[in-house]
Amino acid sequence: MRIFGTVFFKELLIFLRSIGLVAVVLYSFTIDVYIAGEGIEVKPKNVSVGYVDYSNSILPQKILSHLHPPEFKKPKPFTSQKELSQAIFNKEILVGLVFESDFEKSLLTDGKTKLNILLDSTAAAQSYITLYYLQNIVMRFVPQKEGFELKTHKLFNQNADTHMFISFSEFISVLTLIGVILSAAVFVKEKEEGTWDIMLLMPVDSKIIILAKAFSQVFIIICASILSMGYVVLTIFNTPFNGSFLDFFMLTLLYSLTLAGIGLFIASVSKDIMQVAQISILIMMPLIFLSGAWTPIYSMHPLLQKLSLLSPLRYYIEGSESVVFRGTATVDLLQYYIPLAIIGTALFIFGFKKIGRLF
Amino acid sequence: MDLIVNRVSVYYGDKVGIKDACVEAKKEEIIGFIGADGAGKSSLMFAIAGVKRFKGEIIYENYAYHSPKEAEKIKDKLGFMPQGIGLVLYPDLTVDEHLDFFSDIRELKRDEEYWRYRQRLLKMAGLAEFTDRLAKNLSGGMKQKLSLICTLIHRPKLLLLDEPTTGVDPISRQELWEILDENRKKEKSISLVSTAYMSEASKMDRLYLFDDQEIIASGTEKELIDMARDYTYEETECEEGCITFNKRTYSLRPLNAKKAEPTLESLFFVNALKKNKIPPPIQIEPREQKIEIPPIVMEARGLTKRFGDFVADDHIDMVLRRREIVGLLGANGAGKTTFIKMLLGLYPIDEGELYLLGKKISSPEDRQELKSKIGYMSQLFALYKDLTIYENLVYFAKMHGLGMEKALHRIEKLSKGLGFDKYINEFPKDVPLGIKQRFSLAAAILHEPVVLFLDEPTSGVDTVARAQFWKLLHQLKEKWDISILITTHYMSEAEYCDRVVVLKRGRKIADDTPQNLLKRFPNAKSFEEVFLELYKESE
Repeated sequence: MRIFGTVFFKELLIFLRSIGLVAVVLYSFTIDVYIAGEGIEVKPKNVSVGYVDYSNSILPQKILSHLHPPEFKKPKPFTSQKELSQAIFNKEILVGLVFESDFEKSLLTDGKTKLNILLDSTAAAQSYITLYYLQNIVMRFVPQKEGFELKTHKLFNQNADTHMFISFSEFISVLTLIGVILSAAVFVKEKEEGTWDIMLLMPVDSKIIILAKAFSQVFIIICASILSMGYVVLTIFNTPFNGSFLDFFMLTLLYSLTLAGIGLFIASVSKDIMQVAQISILIMMPLIFLSGAWTPIYSMHPLLQKLSLLSPLRYYIEGSESVVFRGTATVDLLQYYIPLAIIGTALFIFGFKKIGRLF
Repeated sequence: MDLIVNRVSVYYGDKVGIKDACVEAKKEEIIGFIGADGAGKSSLMFAIAGVKRFKGEIIYENYAYHSPKEAEKIKDKLGFMPQGIGLVLYPDLTVDEHLDFFSDIRELKRDEEYWRYRQRLLKMAGLAEFTDRLAKNLSGGMKQKLSLICTLIHRPKLLLLDEPTTGVDPISRQELWEILDENRKKEKSISLVSTAYMSEASKMDRLYLFDDQEIIASGTEKELIDMARDYTYEETECEEGCITFNKRTYSLRPLNAKKAEPTLESLFFVNALKKNKIPPPIQIEPREQKIEIPPIVMEARGLTKRFGDFVADDHIDMVLRRREIVGLLGANGAGKTTFIKMLLGLYPIDEGELYLLGKKISSPEDRQELKSKIGYMSQLFALYKDLTIYENLVYFAKMHGLGMEKALHRIEKLSKGLGFDKYINEFPKDVPLGIKQRFSLAAAILHEPVVLFLDEPTSGVDTVARAQFWKLLHQLKEKWDISILITTHYMSEAEYCDRVVVLKRGRKIADDTPQNLLKRFPNAKSFEEVFLELYKESE
């Protein structure tokens, strides 16, 4: 136990002394998460709109008046459809509206009319969300004869605010990557500096050294996670925290152990820090993309959906999202706790054995 | 003069690489740069080669340059081989492809004369039969010879070779010198060669001695040795202001003793005296724990290690006795480090048996128990660079299960005894190499082992620190009854050992006392030559 403490505190001290590493961890867990949450928006912004009005009536201007900053730039008039198409081709305009000469007349006489929309679908997300906006705008001009009305109730995130989800996803990605790299680096650094041999020659049970080194990094990751969740995700982005903090903490701890296991494995096959970085990215990318952090699991190929059952990240994300946003009770979290514990233990033992063989 | 280096200084940030260096050279001359690692040899080479910014002026054949940009003009006349074995080579290219590549980047015309010259180079290097062998499959010596002929392929008139012979086996070293000698005669080129081996001074026309980022002396070997003559005495008792090493005592004040014949190394001691940089005395205290050590500490029988098809160590027998310093000598790649790592249990043994303190080592448990009896100092003095020297030592003491009080007591005693106590709160990177070497040793002996393994502990360290380190090892042996196994590629260090074991490509070719070896080859003037004979004999 004394040896465990010696190694544990030595690793913490070394971590604090390496200013570069501290800076990377602090940056990733705070500023990076903040930038991602603030910066990536799936909302139209500054969309350039062009139109051709053959009808010379009031209705088109009424519709166009709804397209204003910050979502849209001021609509730009064109004299012919050809010119408008050319402008879209040249990427000057993203969305083009063509009002036919009988646009307003048809609506008044027949009760229905047609609006032609030209979309640059290469900017898919932006142009489709613009389309959705346009539909909403147009709907207001058309009386609902059928008597249907959609009444939407937004749950868990009343403002449909994407900031907190994206910052949360980014936090999880950062946690995954940094967790693996830190716990691999703590072993590989010794190889690089040549202290590996000296460590192997200590008359101490090598299991204790491995555990102490791995846990020192888990400790650092947990501290960084609390900082990131507490200050950035919860405070700056005002994410509501509906569940128990202890549950979130336990899930994060379990997940960090899983990461340490992967880190141990990477350390056993790498010679230097560069290799650690390369192999980590190779392993982490599929893990992150299979987990549902950025793509919903139900929209994946069925085979990939099955594969994602193996990703520990999947359970961590679903579990922690449940705790944070839905406030799920501990009992109902067991479906995440159990698989995460199983996969985590298996990976940790595997990594432990693998690096232990080198001792 | 065809090359004049006028007060050249090189800086790395605010660290000095070399200060105010002046060098002159004529055509056909071989100029030697001699000094330890970090003395400034490489920095000066970088400046002359025009790859590093410098202050001062360099004039080559009446063309003066002051910056890498101005040096572009002479680069086609220049050949530069940086330090490190096989550094300019590509592991997956063959010998022929290397020559093709170096010819192509120099845009050489492939006429008859070119092919004749190329063939001559290959013959000189002994590589004519191996033209389609990949560089990674060449031995260390062959790699260096290939690097040299690649540097020579465009017939440079100004040749800069940075430690081309360090770590290379004696025969290849001799061949490298033969190539250089022939090249300067045929091509009338200037060769600037740096070396860590004093014994190579005799191959050079003139020498520049480097110490502490300065050139401290220059001249022919004889002139330099004469400079130290006035200060060199036979070993004598001396209280202050003098250094004693290897049967000689150096002093600036006249001593009441007989004068002795100085060597080139003597000049470094005299320089240390002149600069008042006398190393602190060493005082090793006896062991705290008294233990009974049997006459035979360690015995290896037929130890073998294979890496794939490659046999790194081939059935090596060795005995290590109590109170004995055994030198394990050999070129790079001879299997020294692998052998030590097998003895330490860092590599599994493929064949053979190992006994430590009369007990056969068979299980990992045996090894675990015996680790506490072994001290090990690795190449490069590996220590945690983010911990201070003090923190490093405390950490090692704790890992060895020493109580805090005992640990602090021993650290204080060792740091005073080994003379690094005023550096104890500094980080390893901020202290001189000689100090680093001593506190690495302290870390290796904190737990009072019975056997000590040292892997190239003197590599690159300056002469005075090296001498001091050897004295330290002898004191340790006397006071602790410890046995020491030390690897080195400085053949001249054999004379400080009680016994030497020489390895060549994984085989043991000698195991005897230095005195007996000298007797066996009466024609050899130095240990260097003894080893050259040994290597030749075993071809």
